[in-house]
Amino acid sequence: MTQRVVIPHVSRIEGHAQITIDLDDNGQVVDARLHVTQLRGFEKFTEGRPFYEMPSITARICGICPVSHLLASVKACDMIMAVQVPEPAYKLRELLHYAQFVQSHALSFFHLSAPDLVLGMDSDPASRNVFGLAEKYPDLAKDGIALRRIGQHTIELLAGQRVHPSWTVPGGVNKALSADTRDEILKDIPQALAIARRALTTCKVLCENFPEEIKTFSSLPTLYAGLSNDREELKIYDGQLRFRRPDGTLAAVLNNPKDYADLIGEAALSDSYLKAPFFKPAGYPDGIYRVGPLARLNAAKSYGTPAADAELEEFRQFFGVMPQSAFLNHYARLIEIVWSLENMQRLLDDPIILDKNVRAHAEVNQSEGVGIIEAPRGILIHHYKVNESGAITWANLIVATGHNNLAMNYGVKQVAQHFIRDGQVSEGVLNRVCAVIRAYDPCLSCSTHANGRPAVQIDIRRSDGSLLKSLNTSDIP
Amino acid sequence: MSKVPVSFEWLSGCSGCEMSTVDLHDRLLEVLDEIELVRIPILMDEKDYPKAALGIVTGALRTDHDVHAAHEMRKSCDKILAFGVCAVYGGPQGAAYAHGQGELEEAVFKKNPTTRTNFIPDQGVPKILPEGVRPIDSEIEVDLYLPGCPPHPYYIAQAIRSVVSGKVPEFGAHNVCFHCRRSMQHSEVVALRRSHDGPVAGDTCFMSQGILCMGSVTLDRCLAPCPQHGTACTGCAGPSEHVILEPQRDIRTEIAERMSRMTRIKRDDIIREIEKRSKTYYAYAMASPVFRKKPTFLLRRWIEQGEP
Repeated sequence: MTQRVVIPHVSRIEGHAQITIDLDDNGQVVDARLHVTQLRGFEKFTEGRPFYEMPSITARICGICPVSHLLASVKACDMIMAVQVPEPAYKLRELLHYAQFVQSHALSFFHLSAPDLVLGMDSDPASRNVFGLAEKYPDLAKDGIALRRIGQHTIELLAGQRVHPSWTVPGGVNKALSADTRDEILKDIPQALAIARRALTTCKVLCENFPEEIKTFSSLPTLYAGLSNDREELKIYDGQLRFRRPDGTLAAVLNNPKDYADLIGEAALSDSYLKAPFFKPAGYPDGIYRVGPLARLNAAKSYGTPAADAELEEFRQFFGVMPQSAFLNHYARLIEIVWSLENMQRLLDDPIILDKNVRAHAEVNQSEGVGIIEAPRGILIHHYKVNESGAITWANLIVATGHNNLAMNYGVKQVAQHFIRDGQVSEGVLNRVCAVIRAYDPCLSCSTHANGRPAVQIDIRRSDGSLLKSLNTSDIP
Repeated sequence: MSKVPVSFEWLSGCSGCEMSTVDLHDRLLEVLDEIELVRIPILMDEKDYPKAALGIVTGALRTDHDVHAAHEMRKSCDKILAFGVCAVYGGPQGAAYAHGQGELEEAVFKKNPTTRTNFIPDQGVPKILPEGVRPIDSEIEVDLYLPGCPPHPYYIAQAIRSVVSGKVPEFGAHNVCFHCRRSMQHSEVVALRRSHDGPVAGDTCFMSQGILCMGSVTLDRCLAPCPQHGTACTGCAGPSEHVILEPQRDIRTEIAERMSRMTRIKRDDIIREIEKRSKTYYAYAMASPVFRKKPTFLLRRWIEQGEP
């Protein structure tokens, strides 16, 4: 009799997902699948609304990285107006974006994944969380809370609100930066850098504890996609989209954002509301590619800032130039925090950041706009068409987590096959299956802006597909 | 004193309410002196529905799983708090109300330009509710409401404290104008303008400048960050108490009356503009009976007449 194990709701991720694992008669894993179970429908219900409202409405796709949606959206709107954003506004948008990387990555590492990494994959699930962490390692938990607060506080100082801020608008931003606010942000940076460095030291030690996880967390050759400049230094607000093969050779460069559909196609999966994008020239499913911290690093050559590049050199000494394991996203994420803070310092040190010219005004000058940026979890594409009066007639959104859909599915199966032997399924093993998803820091609210919700459940089914037993991970000894 | 057990569940939403809770930062640990979180999926692995004194539900009802989860929460918790504009009113995804059944799925899976497949997923995924999006009190009894998109951590901390202590929270039912520092003034403006059209004066009420702002008809659960940062209120916390309680009051007539007194813009012009762009002005609560049951609320007709 074949068995199906269902994790009904994957916890400690952002959104709703379920995992099913199918075992054969000998208790070996034959398949494992991730089902994203949420669908909301933003593409449709933005139709008819004025284009300049798109930033504030699409920010509501996601509570974790609303800034990413805001920025992709305002870039698409800039294109519809055919304006170039004033330099101070461009830099303020970048600043906001780096602050978001700090808060989002801090959440992913400290609040969501550190419980697995520090307390252990097999530790007691009742305390395997940030509160358990705070009890056992109060300094580490306090660091995480402080770092996230600095990121969120910067967003609030700049944009007025931490979640769904309204300050970035088509043509620029709504309000210039004052010297006082600049100084207030600047004074937190040394503390934030110190925290990020401590976390990196911890992470390097922790990596030694997880050789099997590093070997099995979606460790497969795929294409990698990310934004970089012409020196192939990583960029998050602007840049060319590069696809690189696992051997390090360049597969494609997207020079004009409007041509994104030449390189990216999407396929629906029958058992998930999350679609699976693929690299079009290679077809489906061979065109599997990944995005996010590790993918960005593989797609680019360097970070382009001294401290982050020094960390990168050390990272590559250990793991090589094109490492494959999604586990290393944790490490890459922490380097990106250092890099983001270096960039915040650079932007704030530039006197132009206080310039009062922060917004260009224009009407509709083009009927179409595309904005591509890097969200903390990978590339994000907003594409709108408008009529003469500027009302949206059509919208297409391709969201970061989606790009990783095929690789996350592969990882779930790889981990399940490696750790489940002879039908023995422990809670710790199921936690590892969830942890591979966590390594991608998916945002399923985002990715299912069109679709619906994340969580993990386990059903055991007879070979005819009928349900024998449904388990919560807590039911498993 | 023993800690009060609190359980969280999220339905269809964006996780922003959870983020706003985590944004209590150090105060989250302080709040934890008084409450014990027994379930919060974004931070903890508990997947069952343990008994709790307070159940906090975020997100709207969108799928059959959401309905199931809402009932599990009601069964396991003594009191239910509908948290955030989605749980209270349906939220931005409530705009599904403006579209026919199946249209959203069509747009995503069948008529999407970059999607090569032509089917809607139907295996191992919850079913989308045929009636679109619903607030949670259409399914379960709700004891307390805290709208906001998301509510500001200031309100979250107070709300949780008041439940724990059994006292009425200190905050009242002000509208957004209460915390806005812009000043209302009479003006000679004769026509509506959009904030997008050109520079906005920094210290004068948007309505005095002829720009539609929802602040005066929106409950304050945000501390008014948008108008202080140059953006008119979009009404994300849902209607003010006035609009909720009086069936004949509606946001478009309320705004039109106020603005036509402050400026020289005609009342009817304002009403027509709001109707024409009703998807914008009713964006967060159109799925709620608060509006749907108002005899003058004809959103679907306005959209037909107003859309390109």
